Amino acid sequence: MFGWEFPPFQAGGLATATVGLVKGLLRIGVEVTLVVPFPAGHSPIDGLRLVSADGPANALRLHRVPSPMAPYGTEEDYPALRAAAERGSRLGIVYGKDLFAEVERFASLAADIAAREPHDVIDCHDWITFSAGIEAQRISGKPLIAHIHATEFDRAGEGANVAIVQRELEGLTAANRVVSNSHALKRCCTDQFGVAQTKVDVVHWGIDGNDVPIPLAQERHPFASRSLRGRRRPPVVLFLGRVTQQKGPEYFIDMAAKVTRFEPTAKFIMAGSGDLLTRMIDRAATLGIADRIHFTGGVQGADVQRLYRLADVCVMPSVSEPFGLVALESLRAGTPCIMPRESGASEVVINAFKVDFWDVDEMTNKIVALIRHPVLRAELGRNGREELETARFGLEEPARLTRAAYRRAMSRMQEPVHA
Amino acid sequence: MPDICIYAQVHQPFRLRHFSVFDIGGGLDYFDDETNRRILRRVGDKCYLPANQLLEDLIRRSEGRFKVALSLSGVLIEQLALWAPDVLASFQSLVATGGVELLGETYDHSLASLANSEEFVAQVERHREVLQRYFGRQPTVFRNTELIYWDGLAPDIARLGFAGVMVEGADHVMEWRSPNHVYEAAGTPGLRLIPRNYRLSDDVGFRFSNRDWDGWPLTAEKYAEWIAGSDGESMHLFIDYETLGEHQWAETGIFSFVERLPWECLARGLSFVHPSTLAARPAVAPLAFARPTSWADLERDTSAWLGNRLQYAAHERLYGLRRDVLATGDAGLIDRWRRLTTSDHLYYMCTKWFADGDVHKYFSPYESPYDAFVVFMNVLQDLEQLIPEASAAEVTNDFDGWAESGMACVG
Repeated sequence: MFGWEFPPFQAGGLATATVGLVKGLLRIGVEVTLVVPFPAGHSPIDGLRLVSADGPANALRLHRVPSPMAPYGTEEDYPALRAAAERGSRLGIVYGKDLFAEVERFASLAADIAAREPHDVIDCHDWITFSAGIEAQRISGKPLIAHIHATEFDRAGEGANVAIVQRELEGLTAANRVVSNSHALKRCCTDQFGVAQTKVDVVHWGIDGNDVPIPLAQERHPFASRSLRGRRRPPVVLFLGRVTQQKGPEYFIDMAAKVTRFEPTAKFIMAGSGDLLTRMIDRAATLGIADRIHFTGGVQGADVQRLYRLADVCVMPSVSEPFGLVALESLRAGTPCIMPRESGASEVVINAFKVDFWDVDEMTNKIVALIRHPVLRAELGRNGREELETARFGLEEPARLTRAAYRRAMSRMQEPVHA
Repeated sequence: MPDICIYAQVHQPFRLRHFSVFDIGGGLDYFDDETNRRILRRVGDKCYLPANQLLEDLIRRSEGRFKVALSLSGVLIEQLALWAPDVLASFQSLVATGGVELLGETYDHSLASLANSEEFVAQVERHREVLQRYFGRQPTVFRNTELIYWDGLAPDIARLGFAGVMVEGADHVMEWRSPNHVYEAAGTPGLRLIPRNYRLSDDVGFRFSNRDWDGWPLTAEKYAEWIAGSDGESMHLFIDYETLGEHQWAETGIFSFVERLPWECLARGLSFVHPSTLAARPAVAPLAFARPTSWADLERDTSAWLGNRLQYAAHERLYGLRRDVLATGDAGLIDRWRRLTTSDHLYYMCTKWFADGDVHKYFSPYESPYDAFVVFMNVLQDLEQLIPEASAAEVTNDFDGWAESGMACVG
């Protein structure tokens, strides 16, 4: 398996998805060798063979910054975004070129590794590793699986980078099978990239139930100021994700302004960083709600869990959300979620509100209702959490479905080409 | 061989429009006339008109030997009068044959029996008036919303002058007893209880078109045979009227089944009777309903309407407004409030079977039970703001203290 990110080298959701898949596969007895483009130390996961495509990889870490053409999956690249935010940088532009060079270097090393490492099937994740996968397939002749988590159209919308789209097309075409994380993304593969319907398996993500959230009682509420002591704490509405066009942060700010008209005590948190952060801060000030919104910058690890537990509702006004892992994380933590109607998570989650990302008024309606009615929060929180505790949202079920895709690819390879 | 007593429920709620927090205080109407009119027209064409025509035909051809009972909710009659006068006329013509008995219920098809005794009585009286106005009939047998009944309700029903009540022949109530008899209310001996035979009823209501069921395909001949082979003095079969043509599409053969049924039964020496006839017969024994029982779901309790905290909160707040709404003396406002008591609004908030995407979801106009709750509570807030006195009262606290079992009673 070719991965691009893996803890601690992680910028976003691609790492989370890779870890989740690897853990799940190992649990159901699949042997996994993960090839990563940076110096690999000890494998953080028991049973996982971690192989480094070594070389001058140090530079890679420095290049891990967000840009409108950020390569990483679909989710939140907290560490990188925080670094970028601290520098107040617009560094993204100059790294595009170096990134392509890294991708090429990784692909060239992939060939050697494929010749050396025994394997039955090759799995690669998103365009950034597709070249490596194709190289490995050329050398070993084993079936290639292209895992697609998001396409360039999802990340960049109208401003798609043609070179990236080209690599996506190559990977999806060369692959024996494609695994997509939603039906919507599958449609994108078939409609935009011309992939045959029958070649794509849909495997929705799960999350690791072992990442148990911190109990609420241990948390201290940051807004529990002296003036509020002894009274009901103000309601908290959370945005968690990259502050980029894809995640729709401006809809969140507009919604916040509307919610405060009905619920003046409501507080809002925008957790994450990205190229639109400064504009969002300006926008909040313009709308006169600067004192209602707290911009945390990038967050990670335990802080993420803390935010979920703190919030009364988590809102995802994403313009494009191929899957939407935040929805699962939020629900797993017992926090009601308002998720985009068009998302992989919406295809599988039942106990949540689903709205169109542009429908700020409807988002406002739902949030005000959640603030006003504790029973609604309680029911959605409990039912959402219970739903997320079912097997389909764990790691093993997606792994089993992925293994089925592997097997399909392997059996197909044994058939005569023109059968 | 038991006599056959067939009765059907006919009901459509006034569904709410999408009512957002931005609409509160905006003077908008609560009800989605367009959708309600459209659904009524569709059900009217697919079910009510052909079913009425068929029943009328069967009654005439059998010279009155074929008999049925219908329970038409007040809100249904009101909608028919507003938007489908031809369908209303068809019901009137059917009732005029004399072969149809009308049952009493709450005008608004509400859960008032569980909430407020005064309101319950008022709604039953209103329903009587509407039956008198449109059909010139007075009911003598009562059928509460979704067959909800328990011992505590019996005195109210008896005081209202009814001779009998349709009840669910639930296993937990019947135990070893057969539902094919007439019983009397425990503690209220004057009141007859007529328990539904749910097995044979559901063979038609739910299983008719189910090819996995070993009774499929159900023919009139087979069904008549089953009835003729049953114990007891009377078989009480109760379905949604919408089963005919709406829940079971015409293509399933449901109409042909009904068309054949009377003849197959009469040929076997079976007789059809009205509920009032049964209510005049002696009871075999008292029957006790310790807690509210309904015909819904496997539980046969009230949890489809009052099973989660959303439903309790909505129910509590709705009936909490009653006194102030009535005190305004504003007929329009009272009418709107009463339409909100229709049980369907709470049914849409049911989360019990949500995950299975089954029957509850099928009947709901909402994307989820949570969406249903949000709209309903927004409407209640708007209504509350229309009550001058209530604005001073506490408004925003959800009721949070209901035990999740037991019944809801608001003083």
